[in-house]
Amino acid sequence: MLYLLIIFFPFAVAAGMFLLRSQPGPSITGAIICVLTEAILVLQLPVDAPVRLLGLTLTIDPLGQLVLLTILGIALFAYTVTFFITHGEHFIPVSLLLLGFTGTTVLLLQEPFVAALLMVSSGLVAILAIVDLPIGSTVLVERSPLITALHYLVLVLLSGFAMYMAFVLLTIYWPTETNGQASPSHLIIALLIVGFGMRFAIFPFHSWLIEVAEFSAPMVTVFIITALNSTGLLFLISTFQFFPIIVTENERGMHVLMALGGVTMIVSALFGLATPHLRRTPTYLIVGNSGFMLVGVASASSSGLAGSILELFNHMIAVMVIYVSIALLERPDGRPVVTIRRDLLWRWPLAGSGFIGGCLLLLGAPPFSSFTSKVLVYDAAAHTGAGYVVLLGIGTLLMLAAIARLLYERLLGAAEELPTEEMPILMATSEISTSDRRQLLEPVGLTIVMFVLLGISAVVGIYPQLLLTTIESVIRGLTFVHVAS
Amino acid sequence: MAEFFATQWPLMGIAASAGIILLAQQWRSTLIGLLLNYVFVAAFLAQQQFITPDVSVFGYMVSTTVLVKIIAGLSAVLILGVTALTFSREEGTEELDEFSLAELRRAARRAQRQKIIAPLRFTDFVVPLWALILAAIASFILPRLYPIGSESVDFAWYWLTLTGIFTIVTANDVLKLGLGLLLCVSSIDLLYTAIASTIQVFPLAMLGLTTIVLSLSVSYLSALMYGRLKTLELNELYKR
Repeated sequence: MLYLLIIFFPFAVAAGMFLLRSQPGPSITGAIICVLTEAILVLQLPVDAPVRLLGLTLTIDPLGQLVLLTILGIALFAYTVTFFITHGEHFIPVSLLLLGFTGTTVLLLQEPFVAALLMVSSGLVAILAIVDLPIGSTVLVERSPLITALHYLVLVLLSGFAMYMAFVLLTIYWPTETNGQASPSHLIIALLIVGFGMRFAIFPFHSWLIEVAEFSAPMVTVFIITALNSTGLLFLISTFQFFPIIVTENERGMHVLMALGGVTMIVSALFGLATPHLRRTPTYLIVGNSGFMLVGVASASSSGLAGSILELFNHMIAVMVIYVSIALLERPDGRPVVTIRRDLLWRWPLAGSGFIGGCLLLLGAPPFSSFTSKVLVYDAAAHTGAGYVVLLGIGTLLMLAAIARLLYERLLGAAEELPTEEMPILMATSEISTSDRRQLLEPVGLTIVMFVLLGISAVVGIYPQLLLTTIESVIRGLTFVHVAS
Repeated sequence: MAEFFATQWPLMGIAASAGIILLAQQWRSTLIGLLLNYVFVAAFLAQQQFITPDVSVFGYMVSTTVLVKIIAGLSAVLILGVTALTFSREEGTEELDEFSLAELRRAARRAQRQKIIAPLRFTDFVVPLWALILAAIASFILPRLYPIGSESVDFAWYWLTLTGIFTIVTANDVLKLGLGLLLCVSSIDLLYTAIASTIQVFPLAMLGLTTIVLSLSVSYLSALMYGRLKTLELNELYKR
């Protein structure tokens, strides 16, 4: 019954909130109540106690429970943010649907085929949020969000297709020795790399995430990265767990996966360094961090896995903090729209500080918990090969350089008090900002919650055993880690 | 030869209908192709008896699963068809400001001009035709190199996958791109039904749901794009 409630409750509330979508107050409150109820239900679930339903196995392990609770916590914060920051008309129902799909995927991780299909469906639903316009909007949807949605649509489906084909081959998998035929294990891992790479925005399949971050509302990006992409990593770990043969028969494939993670880190950091943009640069850094997590998982070692899983939690918190800060930094500050803002920290000290904190958390600066996770992954890389440490080191340095450049170009510059010539209003220009020219006040409550999130990360960083104990106990049960070592 | 046609007609139907989707340029033809494709896939599954028949329809014994697949497919075609039929209807324009209304008028004029300037030409079919030939060659060779199911099953799913991917690659409008994606989902559906040792209800329901959610997403995006640009042409979308 609990399982059914966790699966269907968000869908039912989403239907209700769709009817209330034009009234932000009641719909956000409804969503917050739904998330809280869902969190209570998840806490009530018996851990590692599988249940059979319609021929499927539903279960949750401590890691799945922790990830689900973190996603719900992030969702709760995201809904609180929407009280202060404009969001799309359908954001609440669509995000509740995403939560429903995410919860179902986590519960059905033992059924890879169903989980892959659920991930495709959740991606398709997310498209509606990408092209969403605020309530009562008087402008047309722009071309860029439409292009972004189309790219995402195709990639989500092709990613699901690649994953599905990998599972079909696994189902009919035959050991190499028995009949002398070529092993399809290389093809399986290739399909998994493509499918997972598209899903998790790994180089060279990362461009969709940059587009989503640039052209959709910040909270939509937060939901896509935390709820959908994080579930993807969990899915990859569970795939290795259920089919350890992928790891054992693919030593070279796992090395390719590790190298791909390192290359993702370097390439995305270079892109971020080249374009100091308030939305693009942090998103490139997030892509780079995804590559870092991939290195840990592909190392198939206990320290690498522990580091990656701990980093997954840091990643989610960092994404939340960074995008809330971006949403606050992009608010009207009394200057014309065309002005290039270089002094955002002085204009918005709280949001600016939050942004810097989020970037440092992503980078792995002490005392944040990401420092511990980064050290663990470095340790795993060092045990696998010195080349990987060099890759990770270069990636981290480039990420630091990208952050430094962004801060120098956008946050720490001199105040622009010189009068700027305004652009004339052109006919057929639909993005004319009619916003008030006064500088708005920073929502103190929101920034306090943002700093609480950073504080939690710092506390976990100082006492990593708070999370690591659970993570390590889960890793002890992962067969592919023992097999690989 | 007559025996071949008598036994392999669902397979030929799948090949022809997917070919129509890849080649045809008009949405009416491609949607009819999709409808026929779902019908022929269902006929193929019923003929191969992957699932034990349990329901009698017009004197023929078929499986409930096959019926569910037809219903999911019909729903997808209906969703896309209704969206395509209601494109010309102006909705929600009363909320737009004068700049957006001017933009809409400009887009409508541009789309009208485009229709007059670029009528349907034979050259539009060259790339899809070569793609179709390539898909045909690959669908005959791949089942021999990488067999997964029986020969006919392998031909069917390879054909659907390849025509789906080539439709996505050669598509010049959003609706056709969506049809290519639907063909890929259809190939997954067929392969699962054909090779799964025990057919489970939930995965089949999920496949049906994916088909319907995908067609809803494509319809929504098509409607948004038409509402914005008065055309579904992808090259208009990418114009700056």
